[in-house]
Amino acid sequence: MKAETAVGDPRIADGFIRIVGLVKRFGGVPALKGVSLSIRRGEFLSILGPSGCGKTTLLRSIAGFVEPTSGEIWIDGRNVNKDPPNHRPVNTVFQNYALFPHMTVAQNIAFGPRRRGVPKSEIAGQIDEVLAMVSMESFGHRYPRELSGGQQQRIALARAIINKPKVLLLDEPLGALDLKLRKRMQVELKRLHERLGITFVYVTHDQEEALVMSDRIAVMNVGEIVQLGTGEDIYRQPSSRYVADFIGEANLIDCILDGAGTIRLGPSSPPLPYKLPRSSAMNGHAAGQAKATLMVRPEDIRLGEGGERNSVVVQAKLRDKVFVGQSWRLFAVLESGQEIVVQPGFSPSAEKISRGDEMKIWWPQDRSQVLGE
Amino acid sequence: MRRGRSDRVGLHIPPFEAFLLLGGPVLFLVLFFVVPFLTMASDSVWTDKGELTGDFYAKAVADVFYWRVLLATFELGVWVTVCTALIGYPLAYYITFYLRDPLLRRLIYIVIVTPLFTSNVVRAFAWMLVLGRQGVVNKSLILTGIADSPLLLMNTRFAMVVGLIYILLPIFVLTVASILQGINRSLLEAARDLGAGAATTFWKVTFPLSLPGVLAGSILVFTLSVSAYVTPAVMSGGRHLVMPMVIFQQYLVSFDYHVGAVLSIMLLVMTLLLLGVNFYFLGRRGKVA
Repeated sequence: MKAETAVGDPRIADGFIRIVGLVKRFGGVPALKGVSLSIRRGEFLSILGPSGCGKTTLLRSIAGFVEPTSGEIWIDGRNVNKDPPNHRPVNTVFQNYALFPHMTVAQNIAFGPRRRGVPKSEIAGQIDEVLAMVSMESFGHRYPRELSGGQQQRIALARAIINKPKVLLLDEPLGALDLKLRKRMQVELKRLHERLGITFVYVTHDQEEALVMSDRIAVMNVGEIVQLGTGEDIYRQPSSRYVADFIGEANLIDCILDGAGTIRLGPSSPPLPYKLPRSSAMNGHAAGQAKATLMVRPEDIRLGEGGERNSVVVQAKLRDKVFVGQSWRLFAVLESGQEIVVQPGFSPSAEKISRGDEMKIWWPQDRSQVLGE
Repeated sequence: MRRGRSDRVGLHIPPFEAFLLLGGPVLFLVLFFVVPFLTMASDSVWTDKGELTGDFYAKAVADVFYWRVLLATFELGVWVTVCTALIGYPLAYYITFYLRDPLLRRLIYIVIVTPLFTSNVVRAFAWMLVLGRQGVVNKSLILTGIADSPLLLMNTRFAMVVGLIYILLPIFVLTVASILQGINRSLLEAARDLGAGAATTFWKVTFPLSLPGVLAGSILVFTLSVSAYVTPAVMSGGRHLVMPMVIFQQYLVSFDYHVGAVLSIMLLVMTLLLLGVNFYFLGRRGKVA
C-alpha cells in the first residue's frame, strides 16, 4: 500500500505540524525514505514501529537533533528546517529522562524558564505548579539520583511542560518502567494531554501503549509510514500483513486467489465469500493462481455455523485449548493444515469441546480482511 | 537507573586466591614505598646515634631559604597546573566531541601518548634545542627580524613551566577526555531542547559535569610538577631552585639525609595541606555529582 493514499497530501492538508517528503540517510543508509505526515493541533499522535524503523529519527528531526537529508518540517506555519533545537517551539521527554545530575529537581525544571529570561520570582510559582501536575510536590530540593525511575520520568515531564511548548515530543518515555507503573503513567499522560491541550507526538514500539493513548497512530516500517489512522481503524482495517501482525493479535491465513477473483483456503476448498479489494499487490496476477492473505482476529471468531448475513464459515479441528481467564483460547487446524487461534469470549460450546474434535467456526465478513503483503 | 546498590553482583573470589592476587601489589608497595618512607621519616627525627630529636626540623623550619624554595615550588606548580588545564581542556573537548572518525581519534590519542614513552631527560634536552640561544625559536625570531638579539628563554622559570606542561599535558588530557566521554550526550541535547545555545550548554551542563575530571587531572599535574626533579633541573640550568632539587642536593651533595628527610616531609605535608584546603573550598562550592 502506498503511504500517500493513507496519509493524504500534507502540502494541502492544514496540519499544525507538517512533514513533507522527509528523507534522512546516515552515511548512505536511509533511515527515513520520504516521510510525509500532517499532525493536527492538540492531537495525541503516536509513531509506532519496531526498533530501527526510523521512528526515533523522525522524532529527532522534529526536535532538531537530526538534520534531514531532504524534505521539510513546518510547525505552526513556520518552516523550522534551519532552526536549531533551542529555537524550536518544541520540548522533548527523553527515553532515559536526561535529567541534569548536578542540579536539583527544581533547578532542572527551572532550566527552560531561565533560558527564556522568566524572572526568578515567577519561576518558583511555575515550578510548584508543574510539580503538582505530576504529583511530585515537595521533591524540588532532591537530586535526580535520589529518585526512582518513575519519579525521574515525572520530573522529565514537568521540566518539559513548564515551557508550554507548542509540541511535546516523547521518545519511548515509559520504556524503562515496569508494567504496572507503565499502565498508570499511560493514563496520567493521557489526562495531562487533555488538560494542557499541547500537541503530543509520542514514539513507541508498544502497540498497546499507542492504542490506549493516541488520537491517531502512524505505523512505521523501514523508514516509511505504512498506515495512519485512529487506533480502531488500524486495528480493524490494517492496510497490510505487516500492520495486522504488528498491532494486536491476528490470524494471517494464506489463501489462493484464482483468475476469476475467487478466494479459497486450498485448491479444492469451496470459495470464500469475499469481493476482491483493488489492492495493488494482486493486480499483477490476473491470470492463474496467486497468493492472498486473509486476516481475522482471534476474538472475532465464533464456534458454530454462523447464521448472520455475510458470515464466513470454515471447518477446523481442535488441537489444544487453554484457559486464559476471561475466556478459552483454542488452537485449531484448518483443512489446509494452517493453524488458527480462536478466542470466542464466554461460550458454553468452547467449554464442552475437547481435543481432536471436528468443529465449524465462523466470523463476520466485515471483521476480516484480505491483505496484500 | 543509576542508583547506589549494595547487591553482591561482583565476582566472588575465595580468600586464598584473594590473598595471592592482593599479595603481590601489597608486598610491592610495602617494600618500595612504605619501607623507604618510614626510613626517611625516622631519619628526620633520629640522630645517627639513635637519639630522638626535633633539631632537624627546627633547623629546616627556621631557615627562610627553604620556605622561599617551597613557595617557588608551589608557584611553579600552580602555573603549570593552570596552563596545562587551559591548553588541555579544549584539546580533550575537541577530541571527545568533534572527532567523529574513530580512526582519527585513535591516531590523536597515539600522538598524545607517544611522548610518555620517551625519557624525561631526553625530552628536557630536546627543549634546549628549541629554546636555547641558538635554538629554533631564537633563530626564527632573528631571521624574521622580530628580535635583534637572542632572547633568554632557556634556564628561566618560563622554561621550567613549558617543560613541565609538555610532560604533564597528556595526563591531563587523558583524564579529562575520559570524563567527557562518560557524559551522556542526551544531557546536552536536553539542554539545547530546553532553549540553551551551544555556549550556555557548555557552561551549565558540560563543564560542571566535567569538573571531577578537571579536579583529578589538576591534582595529578600539580603533585607531579611540585615533585618533579629532572625537568626543572635541566630547564632551569640550576638557576632556579625547587624543592626536589634542594632535597637532591641534601642527599647526594651534602650527604645530610636528616635535613633531606625533613625537607621531603615538609614538601609532602605542605602539598597535602594545599590540596586539602582546595578540596574544602571546592566541596563548599557545590556537590559535584
